[in-house]
Amino acid sequence: MSVTARLGALSARYAFLLQQLVLRDFKVKYKRSVLGVGWSLLYPLLTTAILSLVFSNVFRFSTPGVSYVAYLLTGLVFYNYFSEGSNLAMSSILANGSLIGKVYVPKAVFPLSKCLSSGINFLLSLLPLYLVLLLTGTGLCWQHVFLPWACGCLFLFTLGVGLLLAAAAVFLRDIVYLYGVVLTLWMYLTPIMYDVSIISSPLLRAAIALNPLAQYIGFARTVLLLHRTPEAGQFALCALSAIGTLLVGLHIFRCNQDKFYYYM
Amino acid sequence: MTDEMIRAEGVSMRFCRGLETGGTLKQAFIDALSPARRAARGQHSDFWALRGVDFTVRRGEVLGLIGPNGTGKSTLLKLIAGVLKPTEGRIALGGTVCPMIELGTGFDLDLTARENIYLNGAILGYSRDFLARRFDEIVAFSELEDFLDAPLRGFSSGMTARLAFSIATVVEPEILIVDEILSVGDLAFQAKSEARMLRLIGGGTTVLYVSHALSSIRRLCQRVLWLEGGRVRAIGEADEICEKYEHAAQESVMNNENLKLNN
Repeated sequence: MSVTARLGALSARYAFLLQQLVLRDFKVKYKRSVLGVGWSLLYPLLTTAILSLVFSNVFRFSTPGVSYVAYLLTGLVFYNYFSEGSNLAMSSILANGSLIGKVYVPKAVFPLSKCLSSGINFLLSLLPLYLVLLLTGTGLCWQHVFLPWACGCLFLFTLGVGLLLAAAAVFLRDIVYLYGVVLTLWMYLTPIMYDVSIISSPLLRAAIALNPLAQYIGFARTVLLLHRTPEAGQFALCALSAIGTLLVGLHIFRCNQDKFYYYM
Repeated sequence: MTDEMIRAEGVSMRFCRGLETGGTLKQAFIDALSPARRAARGQHSDFWALRGVDFTVRRGEVLGLIGPNGTGKSTLLKLIAGVLKPTEGRIALGGTVCPMIELGTGFDLDLTARENIYLNGAILGYSRDFLARRFDEIVAFSELEDFLDAPLRGFSSGMTARLAFSIATVVEPEILIVDEILSVGDLAFQAKSEARMLRLIGGGTTVLYVSHALSSIRRLCQRVLWLEGGRVRAIGEADEICEKYEHAAQESVMNNENLKLNN
């Protein structure tokens, strides 16, 4: 736990810088757009509308017992956060290269701030998700108190992947392009638009079961759509994959951060 | 000794010149396929910017750093600022460092001047309280009161430089690193900014000052460190070292002239 303790100490000491960076990202993101923050609410709704039209009408996908739109949006909100957060974190060190060469700043604040500012976006996109839950008649239940567990795991996992990619991208710029392809593959290996039951290949099923994103989305769906308390195994598996990934990412980042300067 | 603010012991810094060519998958493939070429690249690229540099700076002392271009002055400043870590040796500091190396790094053009003061201040390591207390002073010094809520995108380069200078110099650092005296903006602001720099340097903080202007080195520094080829050529009392340095520089110019005449 000493690594997470150190991460805590780092963020406490540099909380003000972190706050300023997050604030900057958030302010700049929608600057000069008419709808501004409204896009954070509208974007997931619009993509869900398109995807649900395509997949429920054209491909005849369905999720018996639960609303397909709610099912889809739950997956999308989680996946979008991961995709945005890890992507921004990946380029955060490269983007701040000139700064890193001039002023001493603990370098982990850059990926961390990107994961946090994407987090604001994620929280905002929960609003349309709840709207859809109400409109589709899915309704609410007391089990929603477990949702932060899935969100927290998603954040730690994204941060871990982001730290890893940020360090790797400094040494090998190709990672940036490669990751775009990997993300597409990852999206299809995550049950966002489909239900795992339509997969017949046991190998593919195993891959999905090991996919942390699928674990967090599955956890959230158990709570939001099925109104059930997740099993103890689900709690443990989510935490394990999240903290494990964070520790690996943090370790690789820390081992390499002194070398970043030479590769900028 | 508690009175020592900077202590460098056997500081060496190695750079790898070839690195700019690396960093792509293509290069990684080439290296993997041809180890001989990789080894050749590795040998070529080692370059020692500093070698075995020792010195100490006491509290309140102003140490000048002189030497020809490319002798490791800026590298030494970056090591002390903590941006780089020495390949060998160690650097111990007795207080907080404020690097005043390049102004305005970290400005965001889409944000207003007001927002940039907070962002840039945070990057330079100021606390929220400190910025809140000194905000008015920063604004007043920059003379940008009327443009506080305009995005930086529309600022002229002079206005941006004035803002950057005002943010960077409100500090009360224990160790100040100055790479050439910074004077920016129009004539009136230049005089003002130079006066502020001189006050900072003369105000009892420990200063590491790099300049090619020997007159200002003589005027401001008690001691001078002369770097050449990454090593300490001489260190000592300012006037004495400056004289030697000037002498050496003149000699090398004369030698060059003689060489040309002989050819």
